[in-house]
Amino acid sequence: MNVSDVISITRPTPATIDSDVDMSDDESTQVKLSIVTPGEMVTDDPVWMKGHGTYFLEDKTYSSVAGNISRVNRLLSVIPLKGRYQPETGDHIIGRITEVGNKRWKVDIGCKQDAILMLGSVNLPGGVLRRKSESDELQMRNFLKEGDLLNAEVQTIFNNGIASLHTRSLKYGKLRNGIFLRVPSNLIVKSKNHSYDLPGNVSVILGINGYIWLSKTTNSSHNKNMTVNSNANKINASGDPSYVPGAGSVAITRLEEESSWEIYSDKNDPNITNSVRSNITRYNNVIKALAYGDLGITEQRIIMGYEASMAFSNVGSMIDKDAMESICQDVINNEKMRG
Amino acid sequence: MVQGPMEPSLRSQANTTEATIEVNVNVANFSTFERKKRTRTEKRIVELKATLEKTFEQSVMCNLYPRTVIQVDIHVLAQDGGLLAGMTNAMTLALIDAGIAMYDYVSSVSAGLHDQTPLLDLNSLEENDMSAITIGVVGKSEKLALLMLEDKMPLDQLESVLAIAIAGSHRIQDLMDTELRRQGNIRASKMTQS
Repeated sequence: MNVSDVISITRPTPATIDSDVDMSDDESTQVKLSIVTPGEMVTDDPVWMKGHGTYFLEDKTYSSVAGNISRVNRLLSVIPLKGRYQPETGDHIIGRITEVGNKRWKVDIGCKQDAILMLGSVNLPGGVLRRKSESDELQMRNFLKEGDLLNAEVQTIFNNGIASLHTRSLKYGKLRNGIFLRVPSNLIVKSKNHSYDLPGNVSVILGINGYIWLSKTTNSSHNKNMTVNSNANKINASGDPSYVPGAGSVAITRLEEESSWEIYSDKNDPNITNSVRSNITRYNNVIKALAYGDLGITEQRIIMGYEASMAFSNVGSMIDKDAMESICQDVINNEKMRG
Repeated sequence: MVQGPMEPSLRSQANTTEATIEVNVNVANFSTFERKKRTRTEKRIVELKATLEKTFEQSVMCNLYPRTVIQVDIHVLAQDGGLLAGMTNAMTLALIDAGIAMYDYVSSVSAGLHDQTPLLDLNSLEENDMSAITIGVVGKSEKLALLMLEDKMPLDQLESVLAIAIAGSHRIQDLMDTELRRQGNIRASKMTQS
């Protein structure tokens, strides 16, 4: 049986220099066969430090999950092929409120334990620089209640593994006007930006935890600046003699105040056209198809899948197995052509 | 199907030092030759559930997942003997697939004794006819995580039965390992593409 060959190859040679040489020698085999399974001995050299996914018994390091070996200097860890999302500081994620508690919300982000969103780490109506009072504590449910979806960033990880989130930016906050779906978190490729505007008036937020939000594109970022400018113009136009540059900021904070209440509203935009709705569902099914084919989900692939999906006039027929396979195939072919 | 590690539904379930493993066994009415109504609270099923929980508490690295519950739902759609063994193997693979850290595989097989000859992997007819034993072996060792004997077996014969059962379990572990690697390599190659 060729299992024994596989094992002998996957075991990293004790000396780092040697293994590097090995890697360059036959990189293709290394990439293909670098999988370990639980209980397999990774190395019997005690110089390696044990990392995640390994355990240590009698000077030997064994793997505890099925995955790839990763080496960072002396640290040896096994990264599971599939598994729960593990939060890291700075991750852009999507979550759902599960509980409203004492000065905090509990958020389901698809990891082992629910994350915490402190009252102090959200933007409240009335400007950024505002103290959180007791009245805020009492009306927490008015801001976010159970079942609400939001996008946020991981602020810190406590030492018991619980993640703490924050939404202190205009791009984070409650989600509306769209549809939620989840895919395995290992399919989302980490990148600098995780929210994209797609053709067809649809925006997507790819949470690193595998939660995805598809919604109608709002040109809010442009609009806001526009209104601020127009407000300033109005003030200028009215010829108010007492106008000083600082007065503009008052207008901005008031605007922020108004828009902040809007941030937490539960009302969907009333005029989402049918074409936008069908585009959103089309993207939804494209992403489902990509997840079905175990393809990493990126902006490019979603767009390519969207183009490929135009062959199916009926959006609902896209979740058939054959259709999903053909979409995946199209995406792969397309990628090969572009190189 | 494995759910979790996840937040426990009740605060009281949470164990601050390690994860709780919860197994739900659902045996379909149509799984055997004769249709038979089964309830979740049937004594045999409750016992199977408890056995599986105990078995995996040791081989899963529970200390890595404090304050969580690992919930495993097992649905038996068809059975013809070796029920516990099948469930154990399925659960091992499911836990590995879910990326939960384990010390080693738990591979399981049933064995019986016919006259003087030990037999491996019995079907349900054989299981009813002779004394059967189900064992679960941890990895490639000879350590048993699970041993279930529902009737009597002569003590002097036990050793030979155990020997053949351990060998059988090792074989099953090999099979699981090859399949896991095959699947894993497919997945890994897709990952490198992306």
